[in-house]
Amino acid sequence: MAAGGGAAATSAHRTFSFKVVLLGEGCVGKTSLVLRYCENKFNDKHITTLQASFLTKKLNITGKRVNLAIWDTAGQERFHALGPIYYRDSNGAVLVYDVTDEDSFQKVKNWVKELRKMLGNEICLCIVGNKVDLEKERHVSVEDAEAYAESVGAKHYHTSAKLNKGIEELFLDLCKRMMETAQVDERSKGNGTSHASTGRRGVQIIDDEPQAAMPAGGCCSSG
Amino acid sequence: MSQRSERRGIHVDQSELLCKKGCGYYGNAAWQGLCSKCWREEYQRARQKQIQEDWELAEKLQREEDAAYASSHVPPSQSSLTPFSKFEEKKTNEKTRKVTTVKKFFSPSSRSNTKKESHEAKSHSPSFARRSSVETDQVSREFVDFLRSLKPGREIHKQSRAFVESMGNKKDLGADELSECVQDFYQNMSDRLLTHFKGSSEKVERVMDQVEKYIMTRLYKSMFCPETTDDEKKDLSTQHRIRALHWVTIQMLCVPVDEEIPEAADSVVKAITDIIEMDSKRVPRDKLACITSCSKHIFNAIMVTKKEPASADDFLPTLIYIVLKANPPRLQSNIQYITRFCNPSRLMSGEDGYYFTNLCCAVAFIEKLDAHSLNLSVEDFERYMCGGSGSGDESPCRRSEPPSQWLLEPLSALQDRQQRVLEEAQDLQIEIQRWQESVSREVQDIISKYPLEIKRQAAHAIDCENEENDRLPPPLQPQVFTT
Repeated sequence: MAAGGGAAATSAHRTFSFKVVLLGEGCVGKTSLVLRYCENKFNDKHITTLQASFLTKKLNITGKRVNLAIWDTAGQERFHALGPIYYRDSNGAVLVYDVTDEDSFQKVKNWVKELRKMLGNEICLCIVGNKVDLEKERHVSVEDAEAYAESVGAKHYHTSAKLNKGIEELFLDLCKRMMETAQVDERSKGNGTSHASTGRRGVQIIDDEPQAAMPAGGCCSSG
Repeated sequence: MSQRSERRGIHVDQSELLCKKGCGYYGNAAWQGLCSKCWREEYQRARQKQIQEDWELAEKLQREEDAAYASSHVPPSQSSLTPFSKFEEKKTNEKTRKVTTVKKFFSPSSRSNTKKESHEAKSHSPSFARRSSVETDQVSREFVDFLRSLKPGREIHKQSRAFVESMGNKKDLGADELSECVQDFYQNMSDRLLTHFKGSSEKVERVMDQVEKYIMTRLYKSMFCPETTDDEKKDLSTQHRIRALHWVTIQMLCVPVDEEIPEAADSVVKAITDIIEMDSKRVPRDKLACITSCSKHIFNAIMVTKKEPASADDFLPTLIYIVLKANPPRLQSNIQYITRFCNPSRLMSGEDGYYFTNLCCAVAFIEKLDAHSLNLSVEDFERYMCGGSGSGDESPCRRSEPPSQWLLEPLSALQDRQQRVLEEAQDLQIEIQRWQESVSREVQDIISKYPLEIKRQAAHAIDCENEENDRLPPPLQPQVFTT
């Protein structure tokens, strides 16, 4: 199918496919967050999945089907330069920090800068302060974080993977925003020509060259 | 059109089925539309010609080489050949075909090899299609079988075949243009399937998988690592790079895998096998499947070690370690090939795409790897890169771990002992020196205390002092005997 990211084929029963990258330093609880969301488990001995680096979730939002693919990224400093390879073509990014760790918030700021530089405003950003169950040890103030998020056009959320707080909302909200972006994108892209180039952003192909493959294609439509 | 094809299934026009030579027999796609008889003639003729040409070429080169040898002792063509590894030889065989042919001629199994080599290179000759026809035939058959059950099956087959043929004439295009053609074809085909034939997206995806398999198996030879790109050069440089990094250990990369655990070690071996196997597949999707399988084994190894699901923080370093350990053949070419010719929906989203992206990251990391990324000092890094050995207690990546483990213990014990022996020997030396000094000092003391005095009178009065002289018998007197 043609839908790589965002755009889908037929308007009648369309399915959105979104790619969301998960960014955050080592111990901010990225893994716990997605495992809570996709498996509803926390530090569980009975987790069935072998890995928490690529997870999918199927949603139904206001009658539209959404396939969410969550790409975890390596958060270590030495892999920082590889970021662009990961978040190429992603529709959304979830940037996680630990509310008890000022440093992890600084890292989030770096990623935001980079994402905006590489992908512009096409990408929906969510800044997530995790571990709010450790409110007493908070080192990143709520006002600072929310003000920063606003200043870069991102939404801010507070979550606790341990208490299962705020995670459903976070992803639901993100999906709705990505759907909006995709629809706006499509409308601006054009009328009816649904073989949308959004799906193929990553592959270096220019769409307006139909004659390239036409010798093969011509016979179908004519015959 | 679609109605007709619906009624007739996969049936094709009579005229299309007949031999292109017009002999009246049925032709076969695998024989370029010829019937078996015409094909055999065509093939035999081309092959004879090829053999003839090769022999002439070889003889000519042999003469030239003899002449060169006569003038200098190291013939240039010879010296250019020897350093080629098997891999390089295979890769460059298109360019250095002439030279290779000569070389093959003088190896024991020259004749059969030569035929094969030269036909492989001559992709336009019918014999090329013949050679790879076993595989492509099977793929074609499977493709037809698969399409038989589908409504638009005939249409798909016709278009795919036409596309493969049209690509045959586009060999001179650059890799990006080729990629564009193939991607456009995928796009058009899937669009058409979705709109004209009203397939569900899952069904379309299944069909597209088969289409990809069919066309890429047939186009593989000309599309994989095309001569217009520098993929081959990149392959070699990556290979050398990985070889130079053989000393990188599991600890330096912070890989969360304990190879002491048999199951983890087993998974590591399987992962390595899978990533190496990628090169042997022709279809981009099959190559992706190898990467996915490799990743699954990695996850298993991490799971066994850490007892929790692996995150990307664990996965990426382990994948890097596996790539370093495996040094997969033609890694860059394979990555490029997948990027160019894989169905984009699979590559952009989806699990396979995720693992592929991680592989790209691993390769990028390996290329840019420096002291900082391994938490080493610059001096240490330089020393390792220059082939200096480590401190000894860390076993390098490329050596297998278990033997070095049981070997290392006695070795380090031995090293300790040697160290002790050395120290003791030094002590001994120092002691000996001290002893020597003390002895000479004592001697000096004594000499200075009791200086040597020579008593002159004693010399000629030796006998006077001897009291026993009286009791001695008188000295013998010389007597003269008369003779």
